[in-house]
Amino acid sequence: MNNPDLLVLGGGPAGLCGAIEAAREGLRVLVVDEGISPGGQLVKQTHKFFGNENFYASTRGMEIAGKLLKELSLYPQVILACESSVLAVYPDGVPVLDRRSDSTYLYNPTRLLVATGASEKFLQFDNNDLPGVYGAGAVQTLMNQFGILPGKSVLMIGSGNIGLIVSYQLDQAGVEVKAILEASSRIGGYRVHADKVKRLGIPVLLNHTILKAIGEKSVNGALITALDERWRPVPGTEREMVIDTVCIAVGLTPSAELVAQAGGQLKYIPELGGYVPLHDSDMRTTIDRVFVAGDVSGIEEATTAMIEGRIAGLNIVKDIKGKCNETRLEELKETLSAFRSGPTSSKIRSGLEKMDLVTQPARYVEGEVNRSGEFRGKLRPIIECFEAIPCNPCETSCPVGAITVGENINDVPVIDYSRCTGCGVCATKCPGLAIFMYQEREDGMALVGIPYEFLPVPEKGQSVYATGRSGEVLCTARVDRVTRSANKTNIVYLTVPEELGRDVRHIHVTNREESSLICRCEEITVEQVKKAIREGYVDFEELRRYLRVSMGPCGGRTCRLNTLMILSGETGVPVEKLSPGTLRPPAIPVSFGAIERNAKVTHE
Amino acid sequence: MKNKACVTIIGGGVVGSATAYYLAKNGLTDVVLLERDYLSSGSTGRCGGGIRQQWSERMNVRLAMRSVEHFKNFEREVGLNIEYFQGGYLLLAYTEEEEALFKKNVAMQQEEGLDVVLLSREETVRKFPFMNLEGLKLSAYCPSDGHANPHLTTFGYARAAEKMGVNVLTHTDAKRVLVENGKIRTVVTDRGEIETGIVVNAAGGYSHQAGEMVGLNLPTESYRHQIFVTEPLEHILDPLVISFVNNFYIRQTGSGNFIMGQGDRDELPGLEITPTWKFLKEMSDKMPRFFPFLKDVRILRHWAGLYNMSPDAQPIIDRSNEIEDFYFAIGFSGHGFMLAPAVGEALAEWIVFGEPRSVDISNLSLQRFERGFTREKNVV
Ligand SMILES: Cc1cc2nc3c(=O)[nH]c(=O)nc-3n(C[C@H](O)[C@H](O)[C@H](O)COP(=O)(O)OP(=O)(O)OC[C@H]3O[C@@H](n4cnc5c(N)ncnc54)[C@H](O)[C@@H]3O)c2cc1C
Ligand SMILES: Cc1cc2nc3c(=O)[nH]c(=O)nc-3n(C[C@H](O)[C@H](O)[C@H](O)COP(=O)(O)OP(=O)(O)OC[C@H]3O[C@@H](n4cnc5c(N)ncnc54)[C@H](O)[C@@H]3O)c2cc1C
Ligand code: SF4
Ligand code: SF4
Repeated sequence: MNNPDLLVLGGGPAGLCGAIEAAREGLRVLVVDEGISPGGQLVKQTHKFFGNENFYASTRGMEIAGKLLKELSLYPQVILACESSVLAVYPDGVPVLDRRSDSTYLYNPTRLLVATGASEKFLQFDNNDLPGVYGAGAVQTLMNQFGILPGKSVLMIGSGNIGLIVSYQLDQAGVEVKAILEASSRIGGYRVHADKVKRLGIPVLLNHTILKAIGEKSVNGALITALDERWRPVPGTEREMVIDTVCIAVGLTPSAELVAQAGGQLKYIPELGGYVPLHDSDMRTTIDRVFVAGDVSGIEEATTAMIEGRIAGLNIVKDIKGKCNETRLEELKETLSAFRSGPTSSKIRSGLEKMDLVTQPARYVEGEVNRSGEFRGKLRPIIECFEAIPCNPCETSCPVGAITVGENINDVPVIDYSRCTGCGVCATKCPGLAIFMYQEREDGMALVGIPYEFLPVPEKGQSVYATGRSGEVLCTARVDRVTRSANKTNIVYLTVPEELGRDVRHIHVTNREESSLICRCEEITVEQVKKAIREGYVDFEELRRYLRVSMGPCGGRTCRLNTLMILSGETGVPVEKLSPGTLRPPAIPVSFGAIERNAKVTHE
Repeated sequence: MKNKACVTIIGGGVVGSATAYYLAKNGLTDVVLLERDYLSSGSTGRCGGGIRQQWSERMNVRLAMRSVEHFKNFEREVGLNIEYFQGGYLLLAYTEEEEALFKKNVAMQQEEGLDVVLLSREETVRKFPFMNLEGLKLSAYCPSDGHANPHLTTFGYARAAEKMGVNVLTHTDAKRVLVENGKIRTVVTDRGEIETGIVVNAAGGYSHQAGEMVGLNLPTESYRHQIFVTEPLEHILDPLVISFVNNFYIRQTGSGNFIMGQGDRDELPGLEITPTWKFLKEMSDKMPRFFPFLKDVRILRHWAGLYNMSPDAQPIIDRSNEIEDFYFAIGFSGHGFMLAPAVGEALAEWIVFGEPRSVDISNLSLQRFERGFTREKNVV
């Protein structure tokens, strides 16, 4: 099969579902996956899944994978090749490296479904290159696929769903989890996951981070510290923990390199995990023949990955055969939309909106309260007070009577922008810190005023991280000005890109250890990067060439985003305004010999 | 943004940056260097970095020898270590025709004072035992040839020029040049206008388009050339090795990686620089035949850039007869990195003093194409 109708890159839930839809309609499909066995993240998951009943909720991840594979095996014109990596998407074909025979073969498929999932974000701290420091994904693979324990006692960094679940799995396997560190003041993952871990007696240390891994040849301890509200280490709170493994679970970022190489446009959307391929609701990228589905199109969940895979598959059928089951396609789209309409998906929704993908509106009354569209460009308060609570300082504080709560103090405030003068008094008075000042500017940026009650108050011109509703870093921003208030609620005004203006709700300044490595392949430190920036290398590509950062075998998978964040922090240019640089093929290193040898994939 | 300048240079590759540097060094600092992307984003940042003096045309030999003087002194003069390494160039002759040509060229090059020698097949094998030299007739070896890092060279020139007062504007695209009665008035960019009297076209692969901005039809066109780099190995290969008939060049960088490429006779002119599988496949089939140790070495990154070709495969360094004070240094035909220091220097002298002083570039004029010309043969 040199020219399959569909080549699926990645055999996770998204890729498998796409393949099933295409195969059902008789298309010839080749699925390639890097792993030893197909199933993607699913095969690592020994816990029961949440989500939609129709999409295998409350089944364990590994069992879902089994069901999908069984369904796929019904179709004889499908080939599933494991231990096979896609090297690149060239205009003259898609070379696939078969690791078992160390040889390559070129395919020219009519359509391509990129379902390569995500890779882990990396964290900077001293000695982060010591053996014994792992990403959460690696730990899961070792344990659940190969039955190898990473160590005897583990320090987990990150309390998102992944950090919580992997901690639980480690405990189940008899490994002691000493603690879970979380830099912010609340647990990132679902409550239920957290409760499960807490019941096991694993402490979750909020406002804590790791400073350093201790050890000569491998990890035998860690230095940790408490953080203040601005994520700065609190002096005197450092302490050592005796552990032999550090597991990093600070989030995932889409593995979109192959889409970029194929010429597809990427966009930086922090809510979706980083650089995401632009795509429409049919999952088609900006390149006609290339589709995406699953985590690569934005970090989400297995359920949505499966639905997206099916949507992509049906559209591929339509492209090739001229028609597909439209009713089913519509149903799938509706299911996806309904799935995302819940309160926990608000981040995903705002991410998708940045790609111009319409999502079901969040269920709170906004338009009426704000009607901000009409007053574009005017400095005005945005009131995010949607719950019926007995409260009205906004109404009483406004010097011109622009805000009305009305007779029933439980009603939500309504503002008349035509009367508002933009003085900002209401924002300093609101006890819920629910009022933000906002103004669109002509240069595509927006001014956001944030009520801020921490010390020290940042200074004008200072560069800070602007964070969103759940504390996620959205961009870096410069402080435009600070208006002080007698009641200690100061308003810090920031300039941020307009598309982020509606999401920036807090600020913090992180501390990055200067001597820690940012690029592990080329051993480049944060300090070196900062120095080069001061010397005038303010473009990612220039930095890359000057320092060789992200020139190593990993192709910049781990260090690209981190370098961009530092660049942004130092120059004040938001990450999304920086060019992420080019992503060059091949996606993984490949030998001359392997390219010279040709072998078609035949095994299942 | 600066809105007035004596000289505006279009192109932040090595040629534009070197020209800016030498203008400033000669006292002319009221200069703007325009680069639509980042410095070295064009052919320069994609090139092999080879620096060779073994050319078949006498003038090219002289120009390259002058450049080598500058490369040798670069760190002291310009202030940045550019990983310059004089490991030589080894040119391999496989046919009788090549054998005769190499003998003739080497004699001419030696007349020019170049330290080049002819090596027999046996001598070559003894010197480079790790290569498979089956079928080789002889080789030409010049130890003072070498290579340097093209990014760092460009950054070095640009930063030094900036320190002397030149204004380097990256992410600024020259869109149009306004000309009145044959005189340049203004360069219009996507970020504002610059009133200027002198323009230098150093637009690399886009030199034809930059000529069109003043209504000139410059005889250059661009071709895609591909190249890739392997993982680093222990240092074994000093010289850059070329075979014209087998169509390849290869060198080892300071960090140990091997960089190599070939020409593709099927390429059509254009601005497309997407790399192709065909290239990777052909190179992988071919290179381990000559360098058997490459077989298990892994390829890390693969990319392409433009060769800006002139009709005789030699650069065109001139100023226009029709448009006053419109200079161009274009059509480098795949060897512009190595010539940039001497060309930048000569061009700057021309602008500042009215004539190039340090080296004769009269054979590189645009008029030569009206007189008839000989094509440079030593190109991959
Ligand atoms: C610890 C943990 C717990 C989770 N719990 C839940 C849960 O309870 N409920 C839920 O809905 N979701 C959960 N998820 C999320 C869910 O697993 C993912 O969203 C889902 O697996 C994404 O599917 P995917 O097909 O896009 O990517 P993946 O499952 O990541 O599959 C991608 C596949 O592509 C392959 N690949 C990548 N690059 C290449 C290449 N160049 N060539 C060939 N193959 C390649 C990879 O090997 C991989 O097999 C959890 C995730 C984790 C990590
Ligand atoms: C694969 C490959 C290998 C090579 N190997 C070698 C080698 O070993 N040795 C050697 O000497 N040479 C080599 N070359 C050739 C060498 O790269 C070029 O001759 C040289 O870099 C030309 O430099 P330049 O400054 O003229 O052009 P460029 O580096 O292309 O610079 C021109 C710049 O102008 C910018 N530009 C264009 N139009 C505009 C505009 N309108 N406004 C603003 N900016 C504009 C472009 O973005 C570009 O950055 C190689 C080339 C390639 C492609
Ligand atoms: S900004 Fe001032 S005028 Fe406007 S609503 Fe708030 S308090 Fe009233
Ligand atoms: S003061 Fe704040 S919390 Fe109270 S009603 Fe007004 S906006 Fe809501």
